[in-house]
Amino acid sequence: MTAIIEFKNYTWRYLNTSAPALKNINLQIEEGKFIGIIGPNGAGKTTLAYSMDGLVPGQYHGIKDGEVIILGKEVEKYERGELQRSVGMVFSDPEAQFTAMTVEDELVFGMENLGMSISEIRERLEWVTDLTDLKHLLNKPPYEISGGQKQRVALAAVLAMTPKVMLLDEPTSMLDPISRKRVFDVLAQLKREQSNTVIVIEHSLENLIPLADQMVLLSDGEVMLFDETQAFFQQTSLLVEKGIHPPGAARFFHELQQKGYYAGDIPLTVEKAARKLGQMLPEFPSREEASRT
Amino acid sequence: MNKTLLGYVPNESPIYAVHPFVKLFFLLVVSLFPLFIAAPEWNIMIMIFILLMMWISRVNMKTLRIYIPVAISMGTIIFLSYTVLGGIHPEYELLLNVGGVRFYWERVRDAIVVYFRILPMILTMVFFLTTSRERDLIVAMRSIRTPFVITYVFAMALRAAGMVLEDFQIVRQAEQARGFDSKGKSLVYKIRKYVMYMIPLFALSLRRSEEFTNALIARGYAFTGEFSRVKRADYVLTHYQFRTSDSIMTAIIGLSFIAILVLRYGFNYFNLDDSWIFAWLHQLLWGG
Repeated sequence: MTAIIEFKNYTWRYLNTSAPALKNINLQIEEGKFIGIIGPNGAGKTTLAYSMDGLVPGQYHGIKDGEVIILGKEVEKYERGELQRSVGMVFSDPEAQFTAMTVEDELVFGMENLGMSISEIRERLEWVTDLTDLKHLLNKPPYEISGGQKQRVALAAVLAMTPKVMLLDEPTSMLDPISRKRVFDVLAQLKREQSNTVIVIEHSLENLIPLADQMVLLSDGEVMLFDETQAFFQQTSLLVEKGIHPPGAARFFHELQQKGYYAGDIPLTVEKAARKLGQMLPEFPSREEASRT
Repeated sequence: MNKTLLGYVPNESPIYAVHPFVKLFFLLVVSLFPLFIAAPEWNIMIMIFILLMMWISRVNMKTLRIYIPVAISMGTIIFLSYTVLGGIHPEYELLLNVGGVRFYWERVRDAIVVYFRILPMILTMVFFLTTSRERDLIVAMRSIRTPFVITYVFAMALRAAGMVLEDFQIVRQAEQARGFDSKGKSLVYKIRKYVMYMIPLFALSLRRSEEFTNALIARGYAFTGEFSRVKRADYVLTHYQFRTSDSIMTAIIGLSFIAILVLRYGFNYFNLDDSWIFAWLHQLLWGG
């Protein structure tokens, strides 16, 4: 697989700050992968995302060292508005990213910027509203809909532009669990049906883990860990030390591991943990037996 | 009723079948009518006509109440400017002399003329605001090929105004939650403490504008360079059709304006000398 995004010894320091926001980042993201980026607040996650979308250094003053290569070209070599044709970004605050008066106009705005024809726009609009279940909201002003719907609009607006890379910066941080799940349902469907590279910065690990192919741990502006999701969460001690709370199932098996009761791979979901536990405890009743008792 | 950034619009209305351009044209042209009409009875007729249009458009007439204080304060300012602050004019007919303040018939008449010129203009604007969504404005501007940058800046200004209002509420609630509430306090106190709202609001506005710019760039909007010259599809216009009825309405509005100009300057209509309201008022005050 080819690397669609490549960071080479990349360091970025915002102007008038003493410490760099990102330090010596070396990262290769392959095409079509679903990547989860986690880390405590102030770790540099948003700066990393902005660096991939050209907002850094385009919109912010600072000192850059190293390279960020997107689709084989250094970010700074892209014309204004060119990189965003390939890299779409969804921000954490849906309210702040709306630029139009109705949901439909919001979805269409990006496509018009790309110079799509009316028939292309119509086709894309149909597809994206089906995918995100927004058809009934097209004529509503975006500021009148619920938080979950707003974030789906923001996601759909970027999806409609069909970018090769989609960046989502804490897309569910302002949502309730049900709305959060709906956003991840859309991402899951996207993963099943499309071949986009999706990079999600997220704190909600329960939703992220089942989708992520690879995970990145960022702390104090440095990449502490980058691995396949399963292997990534085997480093539970490091994650906990860096302020990350792995899912309950993983923590439980990590505890067992620490106490010497378990030596295998740490399961990451409740389902896998239940299966593992079933194997560990032969007397563990099967579902049929449990229902009989 | 649906809330818009501009006010409230009815859920269903026959006016929604009218192309937004016609509504904007109505606003721009009809609000000019009173400038060429001096006799208040004609301007009152325009007001009655607009109120009738509102009723037909199913506008909730109760919403007009919010404009009453504006109308009253504006009337008071005009009246005081023309009378109390109108100066001494020995050549005019003196109506009253209250403690040295002279009220002349001509000045009172002029105040009434100005007031009844402004009222229909405001009512035309209210009619537009109570029957148009924000999108209508944008569509109207785009349908006459206004450059995208202008319509977009206009749309952003509307959007920003809504966001500032929302942010103001957030700041206000946050201040109230921490025990600061100017409710029931004197105006001087409120003005003095207003800075407590203004500083966080200003900081929030700066942050919002940064986020907004990032959002524009992330959606592929380029302010300069090759990609800023992309031909835009103007998809929104595909939902609107300029029908024959729209053409007829536009023509009627335009011809009405021409008719007013011809009657005013060709046949000396709408002037004060022919005003029966003033004739009646003068007779009432002077008794013949």
